[in-house]
Amino acid sequence: MNLADVHTEIQGSALVARLTGEVDLSNARVIGRALVAAVSNQTETVVLDLSQLQYLDSAGIQLIYQLQTQLRARRQQLRLVVPPDSPAADALRLAGIADQLEVPLFWSDVQ
Amino acid sequence: MVLPPAAAELAPADQARALYRLSDPALSELGLEELLDELLVRVRDALSVDTVAILLYDPDAHELVARAAKGIEEEVEQGVRIPVGRGFAGRIAAERSAIFIADVNHADILNPILRQKGIRSLLGVPLIVQGELIGVLHVGSLTPRQFGPRDLAVLQVAAARAAPGIERTRLFSALEHEHRVAMVLQRSLLPKRLAQGTGISAAARYMPAGNEVGGDWYDVFPLGRGRFGIVIGDVVGHGLRAAALMGQLRTALHAYAIQDHPPAETLELVDRYVQAMPESAMATAAYAILDPETGQLRLASAGHLPPLIVGGESPRVLEMSPAPPLGAFPYGSWPEHEFQLMAGETIVLYTDGLIERRGLPLTESIRMLLDIVACATSAEEVCRLVVDHLIPPDQLTDDAAIVAMNYGQVSADLQLRLPADPGVLAEVRVALRRWLRSQDLAEPEMREIVVAVNEACANAIEHVYPPGPAEFRLTATRSQHELGFTVQGSGSWRGEPGTADRGRGLAIIQAAMDEVTVDRGPTGTLVTMRRRLSR
Repeated sequence: MNLADVHTEIQGSALVARLTGEVDLSNARVIGRALVAAVSNQTETVVLDLSQLQYLDSAGIQLIYQLQTQLRARRQQLRLVVPPDSPAADALRLAGIADQLEVPLFWSDVQ
Repeated sequence: MVLPPAAAELAPADQARALYRLSDPALSELGLEELLDELLVRVRDALSVDTVAILLYDPDAHELVARAAKGIEEEVEQGVRIPVGRGFAGRIAAERSAIFIADVNHADILNPILRQKGIRSLLGVPLIVQGELIGVLHVGSLTPRQFGPRDLAVLQVAAARAAPGIERTRLFSALEHEHRVAMVLQRSLLPKRLAQGTGISAAARYMPAGNEVGGDWYDVFPLGRGRFGIVIGDVVGHGLRAAALMGQLRTALHAYAIQDHPPAETLELVDRYVQAMPESAMATAAYAILDPETGQLRLASAGHLPPLIVGGESPRVLEMSPAPPLGAFPYGSWPEHEFQLMAGETIVLYTDGLIERRGLPLTESIRMLLDIVACATSAEEVCRLVVDHLIPPDQLTDDAAIVAMNYGQVSADLQLRLPADPGVLAEVRVALRRWLRSQDLAEPEMREIVVAVNEACANAIEHVYPPGPAEFRLTATRSQHELGFTVQGSGSWRGEPGTADRGRGLAIIQAAMDEVTVDRGPTGTLVTMRRRLSR
């Protein structure tokens, strides 16, 4: 019964990582490490699916920024899945970075 | 010298009287240690000897084991073991006859303690119950002594009188030992303390039946996002095996539950686990998940007695469609029921040992339990009432368990004082959501407020100033048109707006609230936030 869980799936050259539960100050760092550990050299794109996430705070947003920096250094891309009415979207909107996040956002469920 | 049995009439009357009392009923109340001790004292006094010892026969090792002694306590302390057939006591056992040794120095003595103690003469008899050897009783004298037929008669009377009692007590001790082991096992397999949360408190009791432990168990555990699981179960059977099985089922259910399986699915998984066991087993169980945010209770029951909801306006029995126990049929499945708990109410789960009364139909017993706990205002009070009013003064015929979980009232103002540990944030959010729900807020509004208050609390937690108390305080109040929140931490916020990390937190707070002030005082930082209500 973790506060949040990471479910990963490899789809071709993409790693789809779906977060469930709640990400806050207490677990953001651990979740970040789990995500990085799931990324292999064959991965070209990481799709971070936040549509099932029930809570995201600023520590979680920080985790996304850090993940982006790390992936960029390895020439890998980050994509976010954030439905507009999701708790994750709330946090990004309130933080005022929904528009300026340098990560393409899919405002819909992953296909 | 091997002696023929002496006639009991040879025992002098006064000596014999003391020994006859060895079979008196009062002695049967004694434990094995006390019984042997009493026997030794009486024999020593009756025969005026210096040493008395009892060795009990261990059939597995085919040896005699020193169990009790007077004058030669070392024999017991050192756990002396004598092979049957060898030495003084060994020969008494092998030949099942009395042996008299006039001079120890010229005899085959295996146990060196006898010589070291300076014993000169020995007389010993076998302890026999229904033709079976159970041990040896012997006496010794530090001065050379010619034990005569009268002495032998006294010793034989003592042996004959005491042997059945020793055997009975020994068998009982073995049973009692198993009972104690089962009891310790049962205790160690039940949770040491029950999970608690803000606005959620639980209490439980386990009461063993007088002579046997059973397989009753209960559990309360957190399930993430403020939810709690509550379990009751009853393994069919008694004793060690039931207790051990209970431990397995409690663990299995908990393990499936924390993987977020709903109650019915959890029972199904435990059932498959029971089916996969090499020996057949059966248990009834009920498992419920309470979401404190909404008071929603999801419940599934595998042939268990119906839970109660008490402490509110309508104390009630949660009626459910009948369902089989775990392990009863292959591919069992269980329906899931949903109930609503009102603030202040308590859910009560119990096992049949608590309410079963000879001649009383089960529905009436349940009604009786409901009446007793109907008005209880806390989980602890439920348990206390049950113990005071339902447990018969003599003893239970079956073991009984009860577990209760209270869904606390929401106060007009929210006031939390929590340790400055990031782990409490999830709990803060649950308590806050519940309070906001009681203020009848729309969902989007609620979510924004929760995000903002969580950020303020996270700041307070991150900037704790040692050595101050590592805690923070959160209050939430309502005036007519707005909600007010304060977060008081013992540290000072260093994060300024614009710095990547904490600045983002402050940006969130400012975006979600209509008014934010941050007071950095000498003892800490106070954040005050206001949000106007949209309706």
